[in-house]
Amino acid sequence: MSLSLRHISKSFGRATIFSDISLDVAEGETVVLFGPSGTGKTVLMRIIAGVEDADNGIIMIDNRDVTNSSPDNRGVGMAFQNFALFPHMSAYENVASALTAREGSATIIQERVNSIVKLLKIDHVMGHSPRELSNGQKQRTALARALVGAPRVLLLDDPLRNVDAKLRYEMRLELPNLLRRFGSAVLYVTQDYKEAMALGHRIAVLQGSRIIQAASPIDIYERPESLIVAKLFGDPTINVLPVMPRLHGDEVIIEIDGVSISIGQYYRDAVGIEASLALRPEHLVVCSTPGANSFPVEIVAETPLNEKTVLLTRTRSGTEVLVSMPAINEGTIPLGLGFVSFDPKSVLLFDRSTERRLRYFDR
Amino acid sequence: MDDEIVLSIDKVDKIYERRNLAPVHAVKNLSMQVKKGEIVALLGSSGCGKTSTLRMIAGFESLSNGSLILNGRRIDTLPPSARNVAMAFEGYSLYPPLTVRDNISFALKSLRLPVNKMAEKVSKVAEMIEIGSILDRYPSSISGGQQQRASLARALVRSADLYLLDEPMGQLEPQLRAVLRGRIKRLLNENRMTAIFVTHDQTEANALADRIAVMEDGMLQQFASQHELKEHPANLFVATFIGEPPMNVFDAMVQRHGTQIVFHIKNGPNITVASTEATKLVGAREFVTIGIRPHNVIVSSGSLKAKIISNQWLGDQSHLALSVAGKLLVAVSHHRVVAQVGNEIAYDLPNNCLHVFDNTNGAALIHGVEKS
Repeated sequence: MSLSLRHISKSFGRATIFSDISLDVAEGETVVLFGPSGTGKTVLMRIIAGVEDADNGIIMIDNRDVTNSSPDNRGVGMAFQNFALFPHMSAYENVASALTAREGSATIIQERVNSIVKLLKIDHVMGHSPRELSNGQKQRTALARALVGAPRVLLLDDPLRNVDAKLRYEMRLELPNLLRRFGSAVLYVTQDYKEAMALGHRIAVLQGSRIIQAASPIDIYERPESLIVAKLFGDPTINVLPVMPRLHGDEVIIEIDGVSISIGQYYRDAVGIEASLALRPEHLVVCSTPGANSFPVEIVAETPLNEKTVLLTRTRSGTEVLVSMPAINEGTIPLGLGFVSFDPKSVLLFDRSTERRLRYFDR
Repeated sequence: MDDEIVLSIDKVDKIYERRNLAPVHAVKNLSMQVKKGEIVALLGSSGCGKTSTLRMIAGFESLSNGSLILNGRRIDTLPPSARNVAMAFEGYSLYPPLTVRDNISFALKSLRLPVNKMAEKVSKVAEMIEIGSILDRYPSSISGGQQQRASLARALVRSADLYLLDEPMGQLEPQLRAVLRGRIKRLLNENRMTAIFVTHDQTEANALADRIAVMEDGMLQQFASQHELKEHPANLFVATFIGEPPMNVFDAMVQRHGTQIVFHIKNGPNITVASTEATKLVGAREFVTIGIRPHNVIVSSGSLKAKIISNQWLGDQSHLALSVAGKLLVAVSHHRVVAQVGNEIAYDLPNNCLHVFDNTNGAALIHGVEKS
């Protein structure tokens, strides 16, 4: 394992930033550290880099305990959201600065810098000083500096945060290929769930000082362990309805505003539990007549969202339920009374008190 | 919505004079009309002139040229308070000595409502905007996002000829933003309130506005519904600015074979079009720019082939980048595309989704040609 964190804890005064964080990142793997602002993601990066000390725990890089090693002895490269370029150096010198601290002849350094800046398409601005660069060029320069030393561990702290939407999108597509060439273990911080899903082989969700789930993007999205995780991923946000599943014969039945709906045999454990039914907006369909798995709603408004159409509906008891679909022409679906139907296989059920996902049996 | 004009912006310029420096021409010859009950977004990147425009309407900036007519009254010569305009601006802050409730109530003072009626109005708007629980707090003790919502509530509770909102939801968490957008739109529509808001976020513009004014470099590029902006962008700027992810564009050489016209993308596919209409619109041009939106690119089927550079599944959409003509062709599918990076995949660029632009000035020539 290229990077292993074991039981890392950190407090500032009485404030616990995180407790007992353990995480592995393999060679060539990108793990995204995802969480709302203020969850200590940057602090964890600083601890791995060695510019901040952990209160407890061990950091291993290539099976070597580096917990007490100095920052330049760890084989860690970093790039931050605010770029942190040296203002008095040219872009070229900034990139090369990561190498001059080590051994290596001038020609080797030059070759390595040139090859990476070409790859990042910033070779034409290497003579410029940082203030002459656009944000996109600054970000690529910082990335080049982080990569040029071919670090065993690469820490990227929200590197696309301050670049415009178009470039951010392009980089989101290109970054995985770039990272693949270097084979570093990458720990990548972002607050954008789409970026996390696009870039991460795995995503570690930080919440309330702990990693509450670490899994592949698909597992995080389709099998979130808690309602918090379910709500952090998806646009629009997942819908939540209170239900109390009961058993009818062999089938599990839920009731929404007096309408009984069978969700099959998948959630036997949920019977008799006060639960939250979570439905992804894109798994819902609106219809004008009731179906087998539908409940009545008032369709209140239609809003376009990127290439989707989002319908705001309200159940009889007043819960807002969003339904999304690939973009359709405005006014195609009439507002007013209607029904929302769903595939029982797509539902997620959570225990309302613990917010943990209830067990699902797929037979 | 009827066609009664509420606000008429007529040939407005804004020039900022600067000592020892060249003046900045922030807004250039802007003319547009806003109808009764309409919600209009001023959309553009920073420095495009959208905020200057809003500030001129509010009365925080003078006009260098032109005029503003609101409900038949010329207002550009009036002070802000005499314009009957409600505003939520970042700089137009809450009164620190008053609670949030009193800040909102203050906007209703001139109506001389009975106390219970006033309280009812305030709590209704506060609840809608999710600040019901902080009504008795003071501005200094609430977060930036809460201040923004309080200021929004203060503007929306009033009755005014026009509502001006400057990045109304810029500081809010994405999830709350989505919910509030729907509610605010509903409030504005139900009461036929006329509103103009500034944003740099096209998702926000699309979600709230009936029509969007796209600005760039001080000039109005296009003022239309989002559907129109997407389907019939006036020029290459609007075409590539509107839409997420952005439209794919390629330079193409034009060749003519009888009634057919072939757009030859260098090191890329040839697109053949048999349409007399298209032939006429392209005219004698030798080069054009071809555009197609990522959602219109067909993947997994079609006669063309390209190498997959990346393939990302976001839970409800697949985003693919294909290597085409030395560039990336981005394709978005609402189905999960299971295909390995590095492999080839079939794709198609349907003719009816092609946009063609003049390659010198970017003016749009064609939006979608019939199948050849």
